[in-house]
Amino acid sequence: MDAVKVLDAKGLACPMPIVKTKKAMDELESGQILEIHTTDKGALNDLPAWAKSSGHEVVKQEEENEVIKFWIKKA
Amino acid sequence: MSKRVAIIASNGGLFDAYKVFNIATAAAATDQEVAIFFTFEGLNLIHKEAYQQLPMPEGKEHYAEGFQKANIPAIPELVEMAQDMGVKFIGCQMTMDALGLEKADLLDGIEVGGAVTFLDFAKDADVTLTF
Repeated sequence: MDAVKVLDAKGLACPMPIVKTKKAMDELESGQILEIHTTDKGALNDLPAWAKSSGHEVVKQEEENEVIKFWIKKA
Repeated sequence: MSKRVAIIASNGGLFDAYKVFNIATAAAATDQEVAIFFTFEGLNLIHKEAYQQLPMPEGKEHYAEGFQKANIPAIPELVEMAQDMGVKFIGCQMTMDALGLEKADLLDGIEVGGAVTFLDFAKDADVTLTF
């Protein structure tokens, strides 16, 4: 999974992971992938919901220790 | 597919501020057009001095530690994010007159208006929330 950028949102509480993801995504080109690391359990549902309503695609998701990782492809 | 979110903020405590600004920033980050109408105690949330130290509800002061531990962002930080993402803040003129507040007492970049200013925005809103 070739992400062009990795966003470290670990330790941040809602709504910061979403806000940071949005800002990082704004800098990407369509079709590029953003990798996000977060420890906010709310993000498990929030990031897919955010991607859905923004038209982006969650291409991969995994959990490692306390860290939740998402790969989101820009629409 | 921009949606519109209209929020009324009419309470002035710390918890109220989080309810308002978390939803507002999350909505703005989801490419929604957001306006908040601050009325009565809600004006605390955009008052230059008051918004930096909003009170916890009485008897709930012990939650301060939990907020710190969970790394909850400070209200001024959320406000800056919201304004940066284009959330529109409208201060209620009538409340300001009644409480003797000037526009200069409130945060920069806000609009001052009456109920109709908000209603005009809210009439086409997909989501309307009151806090």
